[in-house]
Formats: sequence, structure tokens, C-alpha cells
Amino acid sequence: MAYTKAKIKDLVDGKIDRDTLQTMLSTPKDADRFVKYLEILQEQVPWDDKIILPLGPKLYIVQRSSDKKWVVKSQAGHEFCDWRENWKLHAVMRVRETAEEMEELYPRLMAPSSDWQVIREYYCPLSGDLLDVEAPTPWYPVIHDFEPDIDAFYTEWLGLEIPERAA
Amino acid sequence: MPLDKRNNRSVQVLGIDAGGTMTDTFFVDADGDFVVGKAQSTPDNEARGLIESSREGLEHWGLSLEEALGSIQTGVYSGTAMLNRVVQRKGLKTGLIVNAGMEDFHRMGRACQAYLGMAYEDRIHLNTHYYDDPLVPRHLTRGVMERIDMFGTVVIPLREETARTAAQELIAQDVEGIVISLLHSYKNPAHERRVRDIVAEEIEKSGKQIPVFASTDYYPVRKETHRTNTTVLEAFAAEPSRQTLRKISTAFKDNGSKFDFRVMATHGGTISWKAKELARTIVSGPIGGVIGAKYLGEVLGYKNIACSDIGGTSFDVALITQGELTIQNDPDMARLVLSLPLVGLDSVGAGAGSFIRLDPYTKAIKLGPDSAGYRVGVCWADSGIETVTISDCHVILGYLNPDNFLGGQVKLDRQRAYDAMKDQIADPLGLTVEEAAAGVIELLDSDLRDYLRSMISGKGYSPSSFTCFSYGGAGPVHTYGYTEGLGFEDVIVPAWAAGFSAFGCAAADFEYRYDKSLDVNIAEEASDDAKEIEAKTLNEAWHELAERVLEEFELNGYARDKVRLQPGYRMQYRGQLNDLEIESPIETAKTAADWDKLVETFNDTYGRVYAASARSPELGYSITGAIMRGTVPIPKPNIPKEEEGSPVPPEEAKLGTRKFYRKGKWVDAQLYQMESLKPGNRVTGPAIIESDATTFVVPGGFETWLDGHRLFHLKEV
Repeated sequence: MAYTKAKIKDLVDGKIDRDTLQTMLSTPKDADRFVKYLEILQEQVPWDDKIILPLGPKLYIVQRSSDKKWVVKSQAGHEFCDWRENWKLHAVMRVRETAEEMEELYPRLMAPSSDWQVIREYYCPLSGDLLDVEAPTPWYPVIHDFEPDIDAFYTEWLGLEIPERAA
Repeated sequence: MPLDKRNNRSVQVLGIDAGGTMTDTFFVDADGDFVVGKAQSTPDNEARGLIESSREGLEHWGLSLEEALGSIQTGVYSGTAMLNRVVQRKGLKTGLIVNAGMEDFHRMGRACQAYLGMAYEDRIHLNTHYYDDPLVPRHLTRGVMERIDMFGTVVIPLREETARTAAQELIAQDVEGIVISLLHSYKNPAHERRVRDIVAEEIEKSGKQIPVFASTDYYPVRKETHRTNTTVLEAFAAEPSRQTLRKISTAFKDNGSKFDFRVMATHGGTISWKAKELARTIVSGPIGGVIGAKYLGEVLGYKNIACSDIGGTSFDVALITQGELTIQNDPDMARLVLSLPLVGLDSVGAGAGSFIRLDPYTKAIKLGPDSAGYRVGVCWADSGIETVTISDCHVILGYLNPDNFLGGQVKLDRQRAYDAMKDQIADPLGLTVEEAAAGVIELLDSDLRDYLRSMISGKGYSPSSFTCFSYGGAGPVHTYGYTEGLGFEDVIVPAWAAGFSAFGCAAADFEYRYDKSLDVNIAEEASDDAKEIEAKTLNEAWHELAERVLEEFELNGYARDKVRLQPGYRMQYRGQLNDLEIESPIETAKTAADWDKLVETFNDTYGRVYAASARSPELGYSITGAIMRGTVPIPKPNIPKEEEGSPVPPEEAKLGTRKFYRKGKWVDAQLYQMESLKPGNRVTGPAIIESDATTFVVPGGFETWLDGHRLFHLKEV
């Protein structure tokens, strides 16, 4: 089954109708979905670098147009690092580690005890967009969420050529 | 049809089945002759499709609508309009009064409502689950302070001022109906009735006209969510349907009819559109066929019947055992759990309109679960359908006549279907189009056959003790396929298969049925005094329900002495989970001896339904519910009876031949006109028996003969 680009855009924007969503969820994925999805994302970002893979609602792995290097880039345009590195190490970070800071989010007694768990928020240095949140134990290193095997994803799953990548 | 007969024909009964795809009408005359009309449904204004379908049907008799309607005494409607309204959650603005502190239970609903009605794959696939908006939003829900416990004891007296405030606030928000559903009101209705009266007083003070629905007046049964959902449906969905039915009734009256419409209800009887409990007409179409099969069975002596119906969207199966239907007590519909008695019916989402797709990874053929419904398939150019359907396979393989679909109302294009099938299914699989289409049909047949087999054996029966009735527009196309090898005692296709649901509606009793939950518990060796007390509890419930049944009939102008009352009860061994519905052997229960009769009947039924050795009287007995059914006599369609003649079909029944593909080769199938075949005629496959509204396929290796009741019997040779 194929969907129009407008339908996929509704899906991306969270405005899709219930029935179509239900059909999408319960039938095999449409073959050209990823390509349409990337087109829609590309139209929504203010820069021209080619999106290789979205990492989050406002975070992407992109092919930098100037030198074809793959980097992690935010919607607002901040470049964090090489795509294989953990971008969080380059983000603006805020750690909630006291009861007071927790209670900005949760009612008292419903918040995690900060001796056991902290909340780390990662922001885009350019726009202040919240890009990711993790909730580990206090001593735990910064988590590297995702090390995608983009080559296999493009060639074996999607049947697409791998876009050019400078070393 | 002899010319002289036409003008004298007096049409007596009209049955209507307004389905999602087709609107069928079924007319019966004073001699018991019948005719079926079909037209496409017109969901935007149902009356249009209905009138169209009636005209089409009556044309076969050379009658105009106006000529026929004057003499009709009975009209029975079944349709999907109310169900659609509920599915789309487009009803009236309804207010809800519940216990203070319980205001969220309606919107939370039951967890199963998040996946009810989904295909099995989706049920186990959590991310497809979702919650619908509640019928009544939170801001139209109010709590009143009171509490009655499960024994019916008042724990907190009703604080009347909270009820008054609740009523005032809802009235101020301009609700179009107010529903009251308090905890355990089925056990002790006092508080709920008081709240109802207070709400009525407040409405009167406000000068507005708002109907009030107390759950105890409608569905005094256990299970809060079920009871509340069902009572809410009365306010939310049934009132608009009443208007629709009034419109249809008026449309027919404008064309000269004199009868009042009745509506098929979930319990298998018909009720007036003026009935208080109209929510139970929410589904009725598929039930019609089951009632029709039961009626045929009663008249012709078939006791065990497997009813099977293929329509555009689903395959429905119901079992009639020893002439009795199964009644399901808390069914679900439109993703809501409800407290309605429903004729037991199982459905799979596989019909003639089911879409055919290939799984892109495994290349497996997948049928449905969604379907083209009334839009048939790719073969109908105007449908806008792009995915091939089962009907497309039928057209490709010569099962259907593309020029005579619905008597030629819809022209089908075989080439369109062929090209789409080639592109979507055959080429990716490396098959010829014929092989692919035949493979799809075989897959469907075996799916349906397995389903039918598991339905029957799952209940502990063998197909060899059942007669299979096959009907519905597409049923007879597949009858051979889904019955092959199952070893049914007999396989029957009524010549009016397409209008069978409508026929069933016309054959249904005018019957009201009310239920009430009871908690009667008693040991096997209880004293006579204890038995007498319990017998009287049941009797009081019967009396209460009988009053309501009689009231409904009075609304329709039937005096109390015209109504035949049949009490019933639901009984189980104490501590077991499932009860059985039993028709009571006695009319009133007053003494210990009466109680023993109830128990004896229960033990007999239990032994018949399960096994005699599984009976467990040592556990004692519980009565979980009282039932009262009331009927009045109405005219029913006669079942035709003609002399059986020669086995050789008359020449005028032959319509030539058509290429027909099955089991890897094309053959010439002899075509017959269904209406022209005479009782006694035998037809050996490959043959296709056509009528405007249905097609009966008799492939090679099968033979059918038409009996004097115009029933085709199909057997393997």
C-alpha cells in the first residue's frame, strides 16, 4: 500500500486520522515510506544539508553539503559532532539532582529520589530546544543511545544507495 | 408468472435489511410467494435506497410501489445506521450522573474496549490499541453522594441536594438527555429512582424538555460499565434512530402504506420503533438470517442448523442446536461492552469485498481484514477501489457474470480486474492471473471451512449432525468451498439466499424481552422453606419484567390478554463461571415443588449442552438472572410448497455457458436462471445458477437439486 505525501506529513505532524493510522499500524510498511518521510523532514529544516537519518524530533544525522562529512545536527542548525560520536557530550546539559528540582516536574512523593535517580536534560545550544532526556542512576556515564548501522539500513532494508560520505 | 395473477396479488409482508453494502427488501404475498429487491445502500438518506430496493423487487411482480404498499400488514426493518452512529461516536449530547467519586469510570471504560473488534494480529500488537473518546465526556458527568452495597443494603443514604445540583449543572449545559447509573442499582433501585425523580423535577423547573434514562428502568443487570454504556446508548444513539425510523415510516406512508414498522432487535425478536429500549436494535442484519434459518428449521423439521452468511465484509456463523439459539448476555459492539441479550453469532472479516494483498516480506497472500464493502472491487470502474478484492477473483474466474451483477445495475469490467490482479498479485508471485485468482479463492474457502469446522467442533458437536444453511449475496458462490469435506448432514441454499436476512426479519416474532440480574444461591439439599423463598424471589422479578413487557405492547395497542408471556432464567451450579439460559417450564414460581422443576430443567439442559456426567448438583444452584419474553401473533411469510417434477431442468432455464476456471483448467459451465428452475430439477456441475441478486456456483464434482420449498440441496458426487 502507498500513501500520499500529504498523509505521511499528517503522520509526522501528529494530525493523521485514526482509521488511516490503524491501517498503517496493522499492515506491512509501505515501501517508499522512508523516502517520503525524509522529503517531508527536509522541507521542514532551515538548512540544505541532506538528512541521512532522523535521531529525534529535532535532531538529525546529515551530510554536510560543504565537505560531504556526516555530522549530527539540530533543527536550529547547531552541528554537534561526527555522526559516530555521542552528540550528548557536546550539548548543553542540565541535571535535576535535588528534590527541589525534581518537584518542578512531579508532585512531592511522586518524584524519584535523587539519591537513586537523576534526570539529565540535553539542549540545543543554539535554540534551547530540548533534544533528549535520560533518567539514570547518579553515577552513570552519559548514555550513547544509538549507534545506527546506516549502511545496512540503506542497502539491506531500504534497497537504497548509501549517500556519499567523506571520511 | 402468469399474467392474470399479477393484478390480484396481495402483498402481505415486507422485510428490509439495510446493510452497509446493499439494501435488500423482501416481499411476501398472501400465497406465500416472495420476491427479493436489491439496491445499493444510501447511508446519507436510508429511505432512498429502501424505496429503490422496493421498486426493484416489486417490478418482478409487475407491481408499482403504490399498488403493493396498501395491502402490506407487516414491515420489519433491520439496518446498520445506529451502529454506524455509535462507531463514529456521533450521537446526542448526553449528561451522565454516577456515584460521587466514580465520575471517571465511564471514560476509563474497560481495558478490553481498547482492542475490541480488532483482528487477532492487532489484538496482540499493543501499539494498535487505542481508547475512543467516551460517549459522555467528563465535563458532562456529575457525581451524587450515596452508596448501596452489592447486597442492596444502603451504606450511605442519598444526599438529595447533590442530585439536585448535578441535575441543575447538566441542564445548564444544554444536554439532550440525562442518564443515571448508580452502583448496584440492579439490586436496590431506590436511590436511582429517587435521583431520576429529582432530575425530572429540575428539568421541569428549567422549562426544558430533556429525556431521563435511569439504568434500573432499562437494564437492571450487573456490571457497571456494561449497564452504563447500554443506558447511555439509549440517550446517545437510539433517539436519533427513532427519528430515522420515523422518517422511513413516513416515506412509506407517503407511498400508501398502512402498517407500522417494527425493528429487528438483538434478542432475535422484533420490536416497535416506538419501544422504550431501542438501543437493542443496534445490530440486526446478521441476526435476521439466523432467525430465518430457525423459522425454516421449525417448519421443515431441521433441528441442528449451522447458519452461514457471506456478505460484502464478513463471514457470519451461528449455530442452532435442538431448535434453540444461543443468547449471549454481555456482547460487545462498536468497541463498547454492553448489557444486551444478543443472538450468538461469530464473525470473521472475510467477505466478497475483502481486499487481497501480498505481505511484502514473505509474499504470503493476506485477505482483509478491511474490505471494499459496497464498492465491490477494482472490476467496478466507478468504485475508486485500487486494491483487488475477492469479487475481482470471481469476475476473473467466471464465477460472476460481469453484466448481470445486481441484475445489471452495476457493470463490472473483467479486464480491469484482470490487469490489477496481474499487477498486484500474479506477477510478484510468478503465477498466471488465473492461478493467482484461483489460489485466492481456495485460500478463502479453506479459511472459511476451518473456521466453520472449529465453530462446530469447539462446541462439542460434529458437522455430520448439522444441516448447513448458506445464504447472503455471496454465500452461495462459496457454499461448495467452505462445506467441502466437512460432512454436513445436508447443505441447503435457499433460492432467496440474497434476501434471506430480510426474510428472517419478516419471520421474526413481535417479541419484547427484558432481563434482570438476580443473586439466588441455594444448596442441593436445601429445606423446602428455603426453596420457596428463592422461588418467590424469582417470581417477583418475573412479575416486574412482565409489567414492562406488557407496557411496551400497550404502547403498540395490544391488550394485555393478547400477549403470550414466556418466563426464563439463567442458572448455574454454585461457584461455576458460566450460566445457562433456560426457558422456564412453569409460568409462576411459588412453592418448593416449583423450585424443583426449575432445577430439573436446568440439569437436563446442562446434560444436553455439555455432558450428563458433567452435571454437578452437589455444588448447589445459583440463579443469576430472570428473563421475561412476550410475543403477540403476527403474519409470517409462508414457506413455498410446490410439487416436485422432473429432474431435468426446463430448456428455458438454460442461459448458455460461461468459461469457468477451477483446479487449473477452464471448463464450460452451464448457466441456469435460478427462478426458472423447477422443483425436482437436478443440476450437475460445472454449472452456475444465476439470479439478479445472487449466484450459486456448482463446480464439477458437485450436484444440486431443488426441492418443493425452493431450497437447493448441494452434495458432493
